[in-house]
Amino acid sequence: MPKKIVKGQELSQPARASARVLKRLYVREVPDEHKPAEALKWLDYYRKDRRSLVMAMESCVKCGVCANECHAYLGTKDPNNIPAGRADLMRKVYKRYFTVQGRLFGNLVGAEEITMDTLEKWYSYYYQCTECRRCGHVCPFGIDTCEVTMAGREILWGIGMVPDLQGAASAAVYERGNQGNMTKQALIETHDFLSDEIEEERGLRMEFPVDKPNSDILYVPSSADYLLNPETLKGACQFFEYVGANWTISSHMTEAGNFGLLTEQHSVQRELVERLWRTVAELGIKKIVFGECGHGWRAWKMYTPSLTDYAIAGAGYDYHKRVPIVHVHDEVAAYVKLGKLKLNPRDNRLVPVGQSVTLHDPCNYCRACNLIQNLRVNLYASVPEVREMTPNGEKNFCCGGGSAVLYDDPEMFELRGKFSLKKVAQIKATEADILCAPCSICKAQFYGILHEYHHLDIPINGLIDFVGAALVFKGHRQI
Amino acid sequence: MAMITIAGKQVEVDEDGFIQDPEIWDEELAKGIAPLEEVNELTEDHWKVVRYIREYYLRTGVAPMIRMLCKNSGFTLKQIYELFPTGPAKGACKIAGLPKPTGCV
Repeated sequence: MPKKIVKGQELSQPARASARVLKRLYVREVPDEHKPAEALKWLDYYRKDRRSLVMAMESCVKCGVCANECHAYLGTKDPNNIPAGRADLMRKVYKRYFTVQGRLFGNLVGAEEITMDTLEKWYSYYYQCTECRRCGHVCPFGIDTCEVTMAGREILWGIGMVPDLQGAASAAVYERGNQGNMTKQALIETHDFLSDEIEEERGLRMEFPVDKPNSDILYVPSSADYLLNPETLKGACQFFEYVGANWTISSHMTEAGNFGLLTEQHSVQRELVERLWRTVAELGIKKIVFGECGHGWRAWKMYTPSLTDYAIAGAGYDYHKRVPIVHVHDEVAAYVKLGKLKLNPRDNRLVPVGQSVTLHDPCNYCRACNLIQNLRVNLYASVPEVREMTPNGEKNFCCGGGSAVLYDDPEMFELRGKFSLKKVAQIKATEADILCAPCSICKAQFYGILHEYHHLDIPINGLIDFVGAALVFKGHRQI
Repeated sequence: MAMITIAGKQVEVDEDGFIQDPEIWDEELAKGIAPLEEVNELTEDHWKVVRYIREYYLRTGVAPMIRMLCKNSGFTLKQIYELFPTGPAKGACKIAGLPKPTGCV
């Protein structure tokens, strides 16, 4: 993608989705001359729809606390990447059209007309924010700048300015029920391959059931696991085998992530929720366990109840009250705390004796979903030595690829490298041998950035990977 | 969306140079795409990887898991990076005529 130049300033932007992809998304690209007016209509809609956005627009006093907390600003030193500055790109427009002083005094009070340049800037900076919400965590007013980024991205989606990465993944959701374009045949072949691996390692064959009717548990892995993270799938399979669960994976809904939360909540996010409840109804599921995916877990845990309505689930409109939605690490931690899992950290295939592991806390687990404690319960029980990063837990820094800022066009790849500077310094400071990143986006970011950009050769695994490898089996079902 | 000429054929490709219609792929086209991915000559080793990916794609509709690709083609990940400097997902899949992998990759 060639660089856009707006008022003498070069803007880095992710590649835009082609007309072919937009068609698959049922999105109509608004012609350039009508884009500002159309975007304004959407802004009006979102300000009436979301109080969190109005709060962010009205309350900021530019105290500057967020600046040094944002990995994007620390890496790039671009003032538009200060969370308050990034929100200001929208706030100026909001002021001009929706406040009295802005309408009367215009740019005297910092208000600005909306033009195509504004939108090009939005498209650049709202896709440089990784929605990690570290700024929201430290803001004395409690402004969640992530809400501004979300609204910005949704407005851009509405007028047809969609990045290719999120666009193509969302189109795959409509067509195949997951972002990786996986088909049932691909699931089955990958499972066979992984079952063979487990058999070689343990001398026990463990199967991954697909679309098994009358299952109790639906396990929803991230579709990226089928391309990049074999150990994550194996870990979950070994855990379910150990506890003797009647579980299955669905080919209709094979996605723990949900890019809809990050780009477009009206159609893409709803599509996956609808697929989830249809699967629950068809297979007689009693509990849903989600795999390792950061933003996805936030989407499923926090947004599913309000998205489940008659239109989506029909007679299952109250499913969210009857069918628990849990995370695989909450599930594992419950067993660990009861002492029911026999884990041997000294005999872990993935962590040779004498090596240590450091844990990267995925932003959405820690600042949105209260998983800090349970991640540690599972990790400390499964590996011989853990070295914590500082800061960690709810104060952690983002991997630099959050909200699928995983673009590989050269300028954006360069930016991803800069966004991850803080994280890489933290990882190096621990001097750990292995990195544990229990989120698909973090893993994808680290595979690309640590190895290719920072040339830091460190193995990367999820957390359930270590749990699975540390389990002590004496036969099939152990509980 | 752009049209480029590869191996004497007009081919529609996306922003990243992945061909848009996987049906039109043939070995001549693969030879034409290879130099764009820093592969000067497709040796027998390259073909082994490309054919495995292609066959898997035609059977399942998607690219194989990287570990599966390594094990079944008999190369380590390092060797695959030596064969395809831009990597298995970008380089090898593009030469095999697959669409660009999507999602958290």
